[in-house]
Amino acid sequence: MSVFYISESNKSIILFLIEIAIVLGSIGVVTLRKIVYSALLLGFVLISISLLYLILNADFLAATQVLIYVGAVNVLILFGIMLINKPDPINLKLWTIGDNLSMIVSFILFIILTINIYSIEWSSIQIMDSQSIPINSVSTIGNHILTDMLLPFELLSILLLVALMGAILIAKKDDSLEMNTLIKKK
Amino acid sequence: MFQSVLIIGAYLFCLGIYGLVTSRNMIRALMCLELMLNSVNINLIAFSNYCDPVEIKGQVFVIFIIAVAAAEAAIGLAIVLNIYRNRNSARIDQFDLLKW
Repeated sequence: MSVFYISESNKSIILFLIEIAIVLGSIGVVTLRKIVYSALLLGFVLISISLLYLILNADFLAATQVLIYVGAVNVLILFGIMLINKPDPINLKLWTIGDNLSMIVSFILFIILTINIYSIEWSSIQIMDSQSIPINSVSTIGNHILTDMLLPFELLSILLLVALMGAILIAKKDDSLEMNTLIKKK
Repeated sequence: MFQSVLIIGAYLFCLGIYGLVTSRNMIRALMCLELMLNSVNINLIAFSNYCDPVEIKGQVFVIFIIAVAAAEAAIGLAIVLNIYRNRNSARIDQFDLLKW
């Protein structure tokens, strides 16, 4: 349970506003023509998702979401966009048959998921009331990470190290080819 | 309330699939991938808040997913930069180095 208390009706109003923000912002991410705008809207959507986490009693993850996604990933994407500053060619075909097909398929997937979500009786699955037990999420997560999920945590640290080195190695400028041509010219 | 959060997760996932399939810019495809990973995170947190509010194991999985997503974004942008340097373009349909 979070540190602050919000009543149930206020919670549903806040949830509605956050959902509107997420829906409109993510549509903008996918459909806007200028990619810088869609990157900025992605940051907006990620911040709204962190507010959604706060509503769902995950305060530590809300802070982590803002730190990592908005602070690191989104800034990285913005840097990538500014390094690759090439406008799209104008004679590009705006709307093809593949776009229509994939829109229909993803819409059908969304309809199927919605029907499934509303057809299941969730109240029979609920084990206990989430509001009754106050817990400290940070210490619980730390306990889980260092006791029963220790091996995935260590593997994750190795993965982050490998990804760091691999990103540097891939994005580094390859000087060996230019050096070879220079030597041959001499 | 629980169902509307699940609907939001499904919506973000479908929109991410649509953007990933139809986007012609590589960086936009990466952004749509981030949207899909976020929808998975929303689902995990909703279920851990609803079914397992004492031992919040879903939130631990969300931490793992966030770390993997950060690694994926770094590697993906490095690959995009490298191919842009070689091909002088960031469009997805011109990345055919491994074809033929």
